[in-house]
Amino acid sequence: MKNIITPFENITKKSKLLIVLGWIIALFSFWFLSSMGERHLFPSPQQVLKGLIELYNEGLVVHIGSSLLLCFSAILIAILISLCFSYLSTIPLIHPIAKGLSKLRYLPLTGITFYLAILISDARTMQIWVLVVFMSTYLTTSLLSMVNAIPEEEFDHARSLGCNRWEVLWEVVVKGRIDHVIDVIRQNLAIVWMMLVTVESILVAAGGLGFLIKNSDKFMNHGRIIALQIVILAVGLFIDFVLNYLRKSFFRYSKI
Amino acid sequence: MNYSSENTLLYIEDLSVTYGDKTIIKDINLVEKDVVRQGEITGQVIAVVGRSGTGKSTFFKALTGLVKPSTGKVLIANTTVIDSENNAKAVCEGDIGFVDQKYTLFRNKTVYEALLFALRKKQISKEAKHEQIISYLKDWGLEKAKDQYPCELSGGQRQRTAIIEQIFSSGHYMVLDEPFSGLDIGNIQDVKNAFKLITKTHEFNTIIYSTHDIELAVELADSIYVIGYPEIDGKKMPYGTIIKHFDMKEIGLAWKEFGLEHLDIVKQIKTVMLQS
Repeated sequence: MKNIITPFENITKKSKLLIVLGWIIALFSFWFLSSMGERHLFPSPQQVLKGLIELYNEGLVVHIGSSLLLCFSAILIAILISLCFSYLSTIPLIHPIAKGLSKLRYLPLTGITFYLAILISDARTMQIWVLVVFMSTYLTTSLLSMVNAIPEEEFDHARSLGCNRWEVLWEVVVKGRIDHVIDVIRQNLAIVWMMLVTVESILVAAGGLGFLIKNSDKFMNHGRIIALQIVILAVGLFIDFVLNYLRKSFFRYSKI
Repeated sequence: MNYSSENTLLYIEDLSVTYGDKTIIKDINLVEKDVVRQGEITGQVIAVVGRSGTGKSTFFKALTGLVKPSTGKVLIANTTVIDSENNAKAVCEGDIGFVDQKYTLFRNKTVYEALLFALRKKQISKEAKHEQIISYLKDWGLEKAKDQYPCELSGGQRQRTAIIEQIFSSGHYMVLDEPFSGLDIGNIQDVKNAFKLITKTHEFNTIIYSTHDIELAVELADSIYVIGYPEIDGKKMPYGTIIKHFDMKEIGLAWKEFGLEHLDIVKQIKTVMLQS
């Protein structure tokens, strides 16, 4: 028992499981207790469950599909842009552009959406490109760190095997770090997921989880809001798990 | 022991490397020739010793063409045109194999894939490449590690893979930066065996390695260079250079079992190193 409150102490797997279960029970107990009575901050579990059932009957799955499609379309374009800039950042001429793109993450999105609205007429495309612009800056930052973290010895090793500079780029940076790219996507996915509410409110007709949460917020339906937040969290964690699983299955050497 | 020195295999003249304002190595000159002994194939084993920070790694990078020298030149024998009169060529990236202290390999390639990649420029058939790889894996005790990634290999296996990779890719020259550091007694023996395998394979095969283990340098090398800070007019210079050369062939201690005479050389080297 003393072990679980001692810093750096190794504990058994069973103890770890018991600790996690203990925290989950504590969380739910707190939720149940704090939502009892007339006045309470959080909606009760019953209200959330009711909200979830209502949402399901109103086509929650279709909305999840719409959000996922938006998310994947944006990630695909953003990762292609970011990868190009990050890989080419090894070229002195391109390096400042890649660094500049990374620095744009401090630029407020509001300013960019104004210009995107002028350039793009289709609302769905607008949603995708807001996410792409937003995500590319973060992805480029992470990918640049990935490229910079490659030890000098790996480049020297490739050069000593007679690789020319383009081969070094291909073998060490591109092929040698595919598993890292998947991990970067995984880490940055949370940002897109967080942006869903803002972006999906641009086009209400397309639906999506963001639209649903915004709609529920308008009618102060807290049971639905919490239910949706749980769904968003669960879907996000599921994608995170799938990506991590894919990385480990396809890249046996990946020990990130 | 009878031997003769034939063609020049390595020629370094006034080599210096400067990073910004800081000169790391300067005025390095050395000549190594092909050592010929009757009745047996004898490659060259050259050791470079020196205290930490004297520029051994930088010297090796310049030697292998991975760092551009600020001045001077590094020439090696162009063994493909050995019959011509002027067979020297300036060293380029990939001409001299380089195995660093960490035995770096491609993290995404298995041992077999890495060796196949090292052979990519060789003008031989796929089958011949496969046979060559399998034969080396057998000789170097790596058969079971054939389909393993670097992260799944032991330190010794990684090192042997890195050495074979360089043998396949480069010609007759191989530079190893501290190949004995952090190895246990078994792995040290493996590296010694690897040295023997390389030097017994071809007359021109030349191993250049650095080590902090002076006994191992004296035991294995037939030529030892001590790198340190030179003293000019009583003032110690801030760059590394060759301060002493021990030609073990001339002294008569090369290719002999390690004995008392070798210990005397060890003592001399240590004295030179401590003074520099």
